Amino acid sequence: MIDLIIIGAGLAGLFAAYTAARAGQRVKIVAKGLGATHWHAGTIDVLGYYPTAAAPVTRPLDALRDLTRAQPPHPYALLDGALNDALENFLALMQELGLPYAGAANAGDNLWLPSPVGAARPTFLAPRAQLAGDLQRAEPMLIVGLQGLRDFYPHLIAENLTKQGHPARAALLPLDLITERRDSNTAQLAAALDEPARRAKLGAALKNIVQPGERIGLPAIVGLEAHRDAFDELQAQVGAPLFEIPTLPPSVPGVRLTNALRNRLRQLGVRIEINADVMGFHAEGDRVVWIESDASGRPLKHRAEKFLLATGGILGGGINSDHTGKVWETVFDLPLVTPPNRGQWFRARFFDPAGHPIFRAGVAVNREFQPIDARGARVFANVWAAGNLLAHSDSILERSLEGVALATACAASRAACHPKP
Amino acid sequence: MKRIETDILVMGGGATGTGIAWDAALRGLRVVLVEKRDLTHGTTGRYHGLLHSGGRYAVKDPPSAAECIAENRILRRTHAHCIEDTGGFFVVTPEDDNDYPDQFYAACQRLGIPCEEISVAAALKREPLMNPQARRVFVVPDGAADSFQATHSTAQAAQRAGATILTYHEVKQLLVEGGEGNRRVVGARVRDVARGEDVEIRAAMTINATGAWAGVVAQTAGVRVDVIPGKGTMLAVNHRIINTVLNRCKMPDDGDIIVPIHTVSVLGTTDERVQDPENLTIEPWEVELLLREGEKLIPGVSRARFVRAWAGVRPLYQEHYNGASRDATRDLTLLDHQTRDGVAGFLTIIGGKWTTFRLMAQVTMDKACEYLNNCKPCLTATTPVPGVEQGHYWLGHRLREVEEHHLQNELVCECELVTRAMLENAARNNPTLTLDDLRRDVRLGMGPCQGGFCTYRAVGILHQLKDEGRRTNDEGEVWEVAAMQSPAHNLASLSAPSSTLVFGLPSSVLLRDFLQERWKGLLPILWGRQLKQERLDELIYLALMNADHLPDQNVSSPMSDFYSRPGVSTTADQPPATDGGGAR
Repeated sequence: MIDLIIIGAGLAGLFAAYTAARAGQRVKIVAKGLGATHWHAGTIDVLGYYPTAAAPVTRPLDALRDLTRAQPPHPYALLDGALNDALENFLALMQELGLPYAGAANAGDNLWLPSPVGAARPTFLAPRAQLAGDLQRAEPMLIVGLQGLRDFYPHLIAENLTKQGHPARAALLPLDLITERRDSNTAQLAAALDEPARRAKLGAALKNIVQPGERIGLPAIVGLEAHRDAFDELQAQVGAPLFEIPTLPPSVPGVRLTNALRNRLRQLGVRIEINADVMGFHAEGDRVVWIESDASGRPLKHRAEKFLLATGGILGGGINSDHTGKVWETVFDLPLVTPPNRGQWFRARFFDPAGHPIFRAGVAVNREFQPIDARGARVFANVWAAGNLLAHSDSILERSLEGVALATACAASRAACHPKP
Repeated sequence: MKRIETDILVMGGGATGTGIAWDAALRGLRVVLVEKRDLTHGTTGRYHGLLHSGGRYAVKDPPSAAECIAENRILRRTHAHCIEDTGGFFVVTPEDDNDYPDQFYAACQRLGIPCEEISVAAALKREPLMNPQARRVFVVPDGAADSFQATHSTAQAAQRAGATILTYHEVKQLLVEGGEGNRRVVGARVRDVARGEDVEIRAAMTINATGAWAGVVAQTAGVRVDVIPGKGTMLAVNHRIINTVLNRCKMPDDGDIIVPIHTVSVLGTTDERVQDPENLTIEPWEVELLLREGEKLIPGVSRARFVRAWAGVRPLYQEHYNGASRDATRDLTLLDHQTRDGVAGFLTIIGGKWTTFRLMAQVTMDKACEYLNNCKPCLTATTPVPGVEQGHYWLGHRLREVEEHHLQNELVCECELVTRAMLENAARNNPTLTLDDLRRDVRLGMGPCQGGFCTYRAVGILHQLKDEGRRTNDEGEVWEVAAMQSPAHNLASLSAPSSTLVFGLPSSVLLRDFLQERWKGLLPILWGRQLKQERLDELIYLALMNADHLPDQNVSSPMSDFYSRPGVSTTADQPPATDGGGAR
């Protein structure tokens, strides 16, 4: 018998499963796909910008007070210390898994990492392989790309970094250092660099072009399964600090993060059923009894005591919409907070700093992270929700995507482990 | 100030203006064409892509229909590679008038438009998604036309015959000489918007082919031209749900056509008289109307995934007309301002449609030649433009070439199968100021992800080209504009035969402009799967790239303002005080 079924295998779903399994719950994950973590930069963004802030956020945990005052229903406002706990648990877990993460040298500050277009990207925790890119460090940068790799342009990055006062130069190396195939998929290049001989060739070429005192920025392709060894060996060989810059999806750091979390869940006995699109459910009174997935052309019922919804927002597939302006939650058809009509969904500028109202749509929850309706009443006694499905935050705009996912997953999972009547 | 002397000055780089430049050059005249943006920036680049058989106007506007079928036959020879021979159906749905089909058939017979009735079963076999409740179906020789490719090919034909084509040259003022009763237009002062310089062009004849903008341009010579700007809105479905043009068999009306073109199918159109051809707003009711009417031709189409909406302005013209734009004639009109307004040396060509652009050019130049010496007769009807040897366009050509030459890893835009060398060659050899120019050249960013992946790549590649500097042409290299869209003809990166590259803009501006340009066309149709796609694009450009915080925030391009003007009224003007609305 399963205690808790988690619907969704993104960062929120995986972390909720981890939290519940460690608390002794029998957990199963049912998900349509692999989750959106493969598309992320692999960093943990907690807060970078928000519309009412005067300036970019330098100390996210300090800024939360101001954010939640300005936006009382924000998911961060519902947490009783769960963000700190979640971040600490996450750091410990990743250390254990051999994919250590860390924050800025000055504890509590945001990191400012070079983006693949050379902007300074605010994030709170980053995998070790990205840390030396922090733009608060002074060493000049050598950004190195590979000829023909369509997802990484070192000259563009270096030019924009230099314009912002971070000295950087660029170089291109031949792609055949890494692969004989005319292949520019970053995930495959990363897998190729799992092989020591290939990294040695790349290392020799880097050593040749680096100047004393420089740090080297590379596309995030330094190993997939053997990432830790690959990164350490390459750095030792070159003799200069290395850092990876995440690339267009599929993002190798995102894949590494998902793989690590899933391995740990397997060790904890959590079953993960992918390719199981939830198509229906059955409730008796205010309790969900089972959900039904559509897998391999046959319906399959999944029963559990409790259900935790982590299907994501519009990007993850937890929310869908149509041309009439109807917006719905895709599993339980839960009440949603949405702009009143399609005329209110967007603003005229793509980069409007206030964001587009539709992306704040989502499920409203109480402090127990249980979905509620417009009157504030709990919809189901045994359903919890976490992650970007939650209303009142545009986490891509805020650069709070992973922070919201981890913190709400931790909080919702704890609440589900110890349900209140 | 730079000065140019010429026989003919053509204003407007749409199909008509480019056709006039071609026609004039073939007649042995010196000709200069000025276009304020890129070629086809105006209505030519914003239509659904129908090559008319004339069937649409057979009952309502027979002279127009006769011109269409004649030009249809000519363009299939002179511009073969720009045309897909899709054929067209006129479909009588259960909602349509019973008498019209027989009138339609008779009118087609009268006008010589090949028209054959086929069984509904036979039509469904060819187009399985067509409404099975259709009562009758007629087949006509409609086609799909690539107006970008056709205009570029025409421009190259004109250039090879000696014409000068100046894009990003905006007319500021027509030059008028002489006093009352003896006035004469002697050219124009234009602004090179990329370089920020003025140029004076003096011409024996000045021709206004600026379409919907004709009134604004004529005004600078004190001449009044009342264009009837008829806005037409169109929606693109993300793939080819049909391979034949589907028309409703009834009097022309809103939402009566679906055109398969390149990788998409286009639902068109609405027709609404507007004031300003530049600022077009797509209203929610237009989208709803097109979906509702589209359902009658293809049941279920409103649940398809739409990738884009856009609007163009028909430059309709009728002297002293005050009715609805839907009922204004589609016929072409040539205004000789010498006889009409007492202003010599100045012609305005207006009205018509893409299918009749060559005829419009011919009519215009025939008139111009009455005022000039030593003109040869028109040759355009029998002179193919470069590229016709490729034969008619077909949908699979890029995929076949990519597979034959193993170019999968060269793709910069996977949606539209644009390779790196295609992009580089277009950028090096066509005047390129913004990424939108490259979109018109090679269809960059026109597929389902609407620039999500290729915007970044294109910016990176252009940046690298800039760093390489301009090379001179290698011996024997020829830039064939007609091969611009062909992966197989762009296996290697050509160097630039002339320095047409206009890379002055910082990469951040190129990126911001293009993303905004794509956003403008997405707004009216963002819901369902396309909304999800858009959110992925946000993840890429906000969370991964932080592209909204790049340097050069205050730098803009000549197009920045244009892309940023609201293209749709379905936007929240005010930031919501809260999240707005309660639970559903």
